[in-house]
Amino acid sequence: MLLKSLKVKDFRQFKGEQTIVFADDSQKNVTVIMGDNGTGKTTLAQAFTWCLYGETDFDDKILLCKATSKDMIPGDTEKVRAELSLTHNGIEYTVISEQLYRKTERGSIDPVGQRKFTIMYKQAGQQEYVKESQLDGRMKEILPPELARYFFFDGERITRMSKRLSQGKGDEFARAVRSLLGLDAFTAAIDHLRKTVKDYDKQYDVNSDSHIADYNQQISMLDTEIARLDDLLARLDLEETPVAEKIDELQALIEKNKMSSGLAEKKKKLIARRNALVEQKSRNIGALLSVFKQAPSYFAKRMMRDSLQLLKDANKTEKSVPFVNAQTIRHLIERGRCICGSKVCNGNDAFIELTNLYNYVPPKSIGDSIIDFCDKCKEKVRNSESMFSDFEAKYADVCAFDTDYTEVLQEISDIEKQLLGMDDVGKLQADLMRYQTHRRRLQSDRVSLNGDKRVKETDRDRAETERDKLTLKDENNRRVMIYKAYAQYMYDSLRELYAEQEKLIREQLESTVNAIFHDILGEGFSLTLSEKYDVQVVLNESGGSSETSTAQNISIIFAFIAGVIQMARKSQGDDSGLLVSEPYPLVMDAPLSSFDKTRIQTVCDVLPKIAEQVIVFIKDADGEIAEEYLADCIGKRLTFNVANGSKIETYVS
Amino acid sequence: MLFQGQYWFNGTHADRVKRLTAEFDGKHKLFSYNHEVYQLAPIVGFLYKRKADPNRENGSDTSIFAEQMSNYKDIFQFNYQLIMLLDAYNSTDFDTRVDKAFRIYGTEQAIPDEDLYEAYVRGGVDVLYEKLIEPSISPEDYTKNLYEFMEDFELRYGQNADEILDLCRLAMD
Repeated sequence: MLLKSLKVKDFRQFKGEQTIVFADDSQKNVTVIMGDNGTGKTTLAQAFTWCLYGETDFDDKILLCKATSKDMIPGDTEKVRAELSLTHNGIEYTVISEQLYRKTERGSIDPVGQRKFTIMYKQAGQQEYVKESQLDGRMKEILPPELARYFFFDGERITRMSKRLSQGKGDEFARAVRSLLGLDAFTAAIDHLRKTVKDYDKQYDVNSDSHIADYNQQISMLDTEIARLDDLLARLDLEETPVAEKIDELQALIEKNKMSSGLAEKKKKLIARRNALVEQKSRNIGALLSVFKQAPSYFAKRMMRDSLQLLKDANKTEKSVPFVNAQTIRHLIERGRCICGSKVCNGNDAFIELTNLYNYVPPKSIGDSIIDFCDKCKEKVRNSESMFSDFEAKYADVCAFDTDYTEVLQEISDIEKQLLGMDDVGKLQADLMRYQTHRRRLQSDRVSLNGDKRVKETDRDRAETERDKLTLKDENNRRVMIYKAYAQYMYDSLRELYAEQEKLIREQLESTVNAIFHDILGEGFSLTLSEKYDVQVVLNESGGSSETSTAQNISIIFAFIAGVIQMARKSQGDDSGLLVSEPYPLVMDAPLSSFDKTRIQTVCDVLPKIAEQVIVFIKDADGEIAEEYLADCIGKRLTFNVANGSKIETYVS
Repeated sequence: MLFQGQYWFNGTHADRVKRLTAEFDGKHKLFSYNHEVYQLAPIVGFLYKRKADPNRENGSDTSIFAEQMSNYKDIFQFNYQLIMLLDAYNSTDFDTRVDKAFRIYGTEQAIPDEDLYEAYVRGGVDVLYEKLIEPSISPEDYTKNLYEFMEDFELRYGQNADEILDLCRLAMD
């Protein structure tokens, strides 16, 4: 199949009718379409699939150009159209898809009816239409939809698919490879023969011996049972695959995050240290404030000194009799006897002495109060003697905290930065154990199902042997048996041949893909392909599996697509008749800037050689690179331009 | 009579006393009780030459219970005596000041002196608030400002204890 042109009308951002003619010259077979992100490269790749199969990946299923629908008035209708001209098997085809849209009274755009699908072709200069009932069949013949996706790529698909391949999920790819390389004919023949063998079972004449019917029924029941067990086993496989993937993923994560448990432990200690420091600071503040409680005495020191100085200067600390006041003296006079025992009577010496004392005792004298005041001064000064130095020391303790605390906080923050993006190993370990338990359960289920299956198979084989013995007795049945044996022989031979061919193709594919892969990425890596077409990237020196990088992923998919197409082209010329194939175009996003210069050179060399026709989308920025490396092969150059910076109008120039 | 019965701070001074006795970091207080403020404020007011009139702004008030007033009366009285002895501004004659400090306390005659003392208490509350609370934003600021206040005081009024003890001895000889 070669693409001639694509004509789109009001398809998404392609306003009005726009035509893209593709290069189909055998030498200059490359069409370069340039446009920055958002200009419509992905849309164009989707236009192919919509035109051919009515399918798009867009979230918004309305395909009508927004710029066009804006100009419509309610009740207006507009048609979206995609017309792809191509040649297949020497016949020129035109495939057309059309969808009508109407603007409602509310201003929304609604589709009117279904997509109209037409295939036309030229035969003997005459334009013919493929009948409606044969449309799907013919489309499958030109390019089956399940294969189309391997020829129409946008950048996102390339990344997604290469990731699946590098994760060892090549099942889908295996189907594509078998179809592309013509192995489908084999599988169809094998399926047919399997059915034929079964059909012969029904042709036995059961009337010759009633037991034959019994055995047939028994065999049929056992076959159903075996099929049911196979189905259960297949389901187990399906269930086990993601579990096994999860286990691998978790084991890799645990390995990667081993360091995090050490860091987490260190962080725990630092947090304990931080908390201890906070506690200590709190205690230090408490101690500082406790010293501050002496403040009234400390603050009063200056006033005490000034007061005492004044009192001293004024000689106010006159003589006094401690603890004796006027009442004491009055009491002694009234009693008539002094403390010393002398008699006190009016006018005697003792009386005169005591009367003089009135001047030296309170309330007339304040000597006691002053003495009391001095005592208090003494006590307060002594209590607060070291207050300021104590206070300074405690404050130093409080401040010392800041340095330690900042250091600890910094360390915690550093660890947190390191831990960022790492997972908690404990949690991962718990998850791993859960998945491992699940897998063990599935494995034990499989063992048990396989056991059941073996029992049923033995029963069925025994019943078949018994039935065959009985059928031999009847001539008619003997003939059926011979036919069946032929069919069985054909079936077995074809399966064997298929297995050989398939192995050969797989090996060829592996070496072809590897050759291309080496061209792109150098000899350092190789790809290995398992029976299930699972891909592994192997480091050549050590032989161990290596983690794949983005450039590697893109290279894998390039190498695969290129390899398959190259083989398909080769097989077309084969006369063996077994492998029938048709060359296909390759329409893909070429993220040239993902590669370094030498690889760009290789990609640009490889692409035009492997496919008869290459249509590549590149960013404007990659334009010069493409010109530099692809110039000799470029047959057409196109640019997608957005109108007035709008994202809803693109024009092809 | 001063220092007897429940004591009330009112208006802005009540608010400031509340702030001075509030937790500044969720755990610690600069002054644990109102009576601690009352012990220090008159000294600070006198030394920083700050007096303040009473007010009843915001209708705010806070008090010291009579029992606590009684428990710490000796300290309050000592502060009163210091101020009376040193208040040369209101009374230049030292003999009169000695009488105010030791003789006429608690009499009718002492009422103007008590008013003066109260003015110093309020002035002291204002100074403590301005030095310790007003400039503080983070919990760390409170201890830092307290230290700076102490340091400033030590520079201004720092005293050698021996000198005072000598004076005590001389005064009592």
